[in-house]
Amino acid sequence: MTEQPSFDHRPDPELGAALWAALEPKDDHAAFAARVLAQYDHALDRSSVAMFDVLASWFRPGMVAAAAALVLGILLGRTVFQSPDPTSIDAAMAPVEGPGLAALVTAQDPPDASVVFTSLVEP
Amino acid sequence: MGSSGDDAGLVARTLAGDRAAFGALVERHAGQARRVPRALLGDPDDADDAAQDGFLSALVKLGQYDARRPFGPWLMRIVANAATDRRRRRNVRRVEPLDTSLVGGGPRPDAAAVRNELGDRLRAALAELPERRRKAVVLFDVEGYSHAEIAGILGIPEGTVRSEVFHARRRLRTLLADFKEPIG
Repeated sequence: MTEQPSFDHRPDPELGAALWAALEPKDDHAAFAARVLAQYDHALDRSSVAMFDVLASWFRPGMVAAAAALVLGILLGRTVFQSPDPTSIDAAMAPVEGPGLAALVTAQDPPDASVVFTSLVEP
Repeated sequence: MGSSGDDAGLVARTLAGDRAAFGALVERHAGQARRVPRALLGDPDDADDAAQDGFLSALVKLGQYDARRPFGPWLMRIVANAATDRRRRRNVRRVEPLDTSLVGGGPRPDAAAVRNELGDRLRAALAELPERRRKAVVLFDVEGYSHAEIAGILGIPEGTVRSEVFHARRRLRTLLADFKEPIG
């Protein structure tokens, strides 16, 4: 190695001045500051507009999704509530004409809770 | 460059929504924030775009600034990163176009022309340096930051900063020496 780095802790004024002259912008910094502030204002405006744009863009798909959910809910509800009526306590307790207690046991659909409670209270 | 106390006051006012305070902060630090990207990007318009990116990014991050520390190095770290990002986006490994007439050592009618030529050559020489070396030498010799501050700005060890400044100076001083005789 022929050369050892000799670090200088002080800035080189001559080199610094030459570099400064080479890098210094020709226009004044006030114009640049005005430009940055204009961009700052523009960004603020754009962000508020963008928020409404986002909300607006969500509105239509949101309405479609809500309508689809409503229709699905109605169809599901109708399917559930159109199932046969559960066996009534009258039918279950009828000794001769009705299916009798066996109807409670063999019925495919669960009875109303009132049927069970009534059978316990009034044996 | 204003004092760090002034800067802290402007930062506090900016955070409170004072637009004029932000403008004052920008104007106060515009010089160094524009020169450093120039060393990195070459093109003045690109450099100003990078400086602007840096200021707006600093505004977004202003809540993270520790007012007990000097504002300049904190800002310059953001600006230097903005310049690097812009350089990457530009995706051009760009060596400043060097006018062949400058290399050829054409006629030098007067000292002003020679100084202009020196400026062109310095910018060209900077463009040939590795990115980190450019930043280091400009921050040290032009902006007057210490090695430790530059280490913080660039996120590298202080010893590496010294090395980068040394190697950059060696190249640039050679160039400068070539111009001293004609100027003198």
